[in-house]
Amino acid sequence: MSDPKRLHPIAVLLNIIKSIKELVIPFLLVVVIPGKNEGIPGWIQPLVIAIIILLIIGNAFLQWLRFTYRIEEGEFRIESGVFVRKKRYIKFDRIHSMDISEGIIQRVFSLVKLNIETAGGSQADAVLSAIRKSDADRINAYISEEKNAYNPFDRDKDEVADNEIAAKSSSVFKQTLPQLVAMAATSGAVGVFLSGAVAFISQFDEMIPFQRIFKDYEDFIEMGTFILTLFALVALLAVYVLATLSMVIKYASFTVIKTDEEIVISRGLLEKRRLTIPIHKIQGIRIMENLIRKPLGLATVYIEYAGGSMEDKESLSIMLFPLIRKKHLQKKIMEILPVYETDTEMTPIPKRALSRYVFRKFLYLIPIIGALVWFFRPWGYLSFLLVPLAIFWAYMQYRDAGWSIEGNLLLLSSRFFSKQTLIMQRSRIQSITYKKSWFQNRKELATITASIKSGITSRVGMVADVEEKDCLIIKSWYSPKKTVDSQ
Amino acid sequence: MEPENRISNKALTVWKISGLISCSITWIISIAVLVLTIIFDWTYWVIGALVLISTIQSFLAIFLIPSVKWKRWRYEVRNTEIDIQSGIFIIKRTLIPMIRVQHVETKQGPLLRKYDLASVEISTAATLHVIPALDLAEADELRHYISRMASVEEEDV
Repeated sequence: MSDPKRLHPIAVLLNIIKSIKELVIPFLLVVVIPGKNEGIPGWIQPLVIAIIILLIIGNAFLQWLRFTYRIEEGEFRIESGVFVRKKRYIKFDRIHSMDISEGIIQRVFSLVKLNIETAGGSQADAVLSAIRKSDADRINAYISEEKNAYNPFDRDKDEVADNEIAAKSSSVFKQTLPQLVAMAATSGAVGVFLSGAVAFISQFDEMIPFQRIFKDYEDFIEMGTFILTLFALVALLAVYVLATLSMVIKYASFTVIKTDEEIVISRGLLEKRRLTIPIHKIQGIRIMENLIRKPLGLATVYIEYAGGSMEDKESLSIMLFPLIRKKHLQKKIMEILPVYETDTEMTPIPKRALSRYVFRKFLYLIPIIGALVWFFRPWGYLSFLLVPLAIFWAYMQYRDAGWSIEGNLLLLSSRFFSKQTLIMQRSRIQSITYKKSWFQNRKELATITASIKSGITSRVGMVADVEEKDCLIIKSWYSPKKTVDSQ
Repeated sequence: MEPENRISNKALTVWKISGLISCSITWIISIAVLVLTIIFDWTYWVIGALVLISTIQSFLAIFLIPSVKWKRWRYEVRNTEIDIQSGIFIIKRTLIPMIRVQHVETKQGPLLRKYDLASVEISTAATLHVIPALDLAEADELRHYISRMASVEEEDV
């Protein structure tokens, strides 16, 4: 496997698409926004555009031509670059995981994209954007075989494992279609979609002649608020359905398979993705229950793991179970990650903490109400309606805050909008901090924080206003035992 | 039970000086606005507010905060863990087990160098903790000690 190989020629197209994506915004800024350019001859603009397009195509072709990969001396070697020649050699034992995904273009030509991930974050990753599936499988098999050959312990294991390949990948979690639809329908994607639409419109409101449009539609508006509201509702509904649909497509046929040392998550309808996560890199799990799902007894479970790369946002927040009934959670977790316990009694925070939660809300509510009342009298007085809302929110946050220690596990739960429960093993917690303000000190309360590594940064579990005594319990639980000293 | 060690008392001087530097920037802005106000005949309440803010900032940044911060700052490096207490109005206690420490480094800015001080930065896989302004010799010794203790037990992240 040592002769240098090129990617499939379709990579040229992928390169073109990639550079177009990168260039869209500057292109709009330069070409579209300035509008009429007096004094510059009319043929200049098409010429410039033509040159840019030619450059993009030429560059994409040269990139493909110069990109070669090969396997040599226990290393995966990539050489690339048009003007600056880059050589990237990755040692097999530095390779964390190899992921295979298929975008729409790859699927048309029955190719795959191979992502070779290392511990070093974004810089050290290697991406083969279009290779034949058989090649990907061969590379995958070859590298994992070589990796094991270097490690005598793994080799022993392998011999045993050969007999029980069937048992090896036993635990499976599958998300059914109805569950998936329910998950998409109750997700926050609607909000993202909406705010995206708003942002998009506000970007272009100078280009779209709103005033002219509105003049034409004045009659329309006079038809009454009823129809307008109806119209808005229908538009909202359409957005909601679209968001739901796109999520269903993204997470279709979601499957989790557990092997001896890895969890393999695959999903996607149009673009298929397969993520391989080494179990020993998992730092903790996170259970999220949003506003809609919590009352229905549903939750989403994420894996926090040390790896993934900056460029690939999805590798930083990995869903283990997109949607699961909370009462089935413990059983499913036991099958896949038996070290984690999810069914524990949480120690609530004391009653006197409630006033602190309310107080914190008022800290920024009062200036907001003040400003609204001052500037928008009389309508500003409506903002007083925010007061009961804020108190209710504070109460929910107070109610859902809690902590628990279960053997070697620390569980911290809190709520911003969604309830978050972070479950961490003691040996994975990087540091624990507790802090108290003057007000907290007076009430003998403190805020506790525990950090674990997640992706290339960290995930922090935090519970505000825990009983100070409890903080000390958590601290001494975390503190390395004194018996270790004498060893 | 608070951690044992305090940081160098020269830190107080360093913090006061850096407070002075940051204040001088606001004062320069205030004076610039004052000049502009006089030239262009703007309303005076803006400059009044600016002077008030500058005065309060000076008091806080040069006198109050450095001394409170210094009194609060304590640390203790034991065999198996590092215990840090810091904060101004919020007291913060952090516990870092030795085996979680990935690397330690000492750092010296121009101001710290002048007073023969250094800060010690302790990184874990996910977090960064800084002990500011220790005597250079003490900082070096601490760095050696932590890195020796941390390497005793290797564990994967």
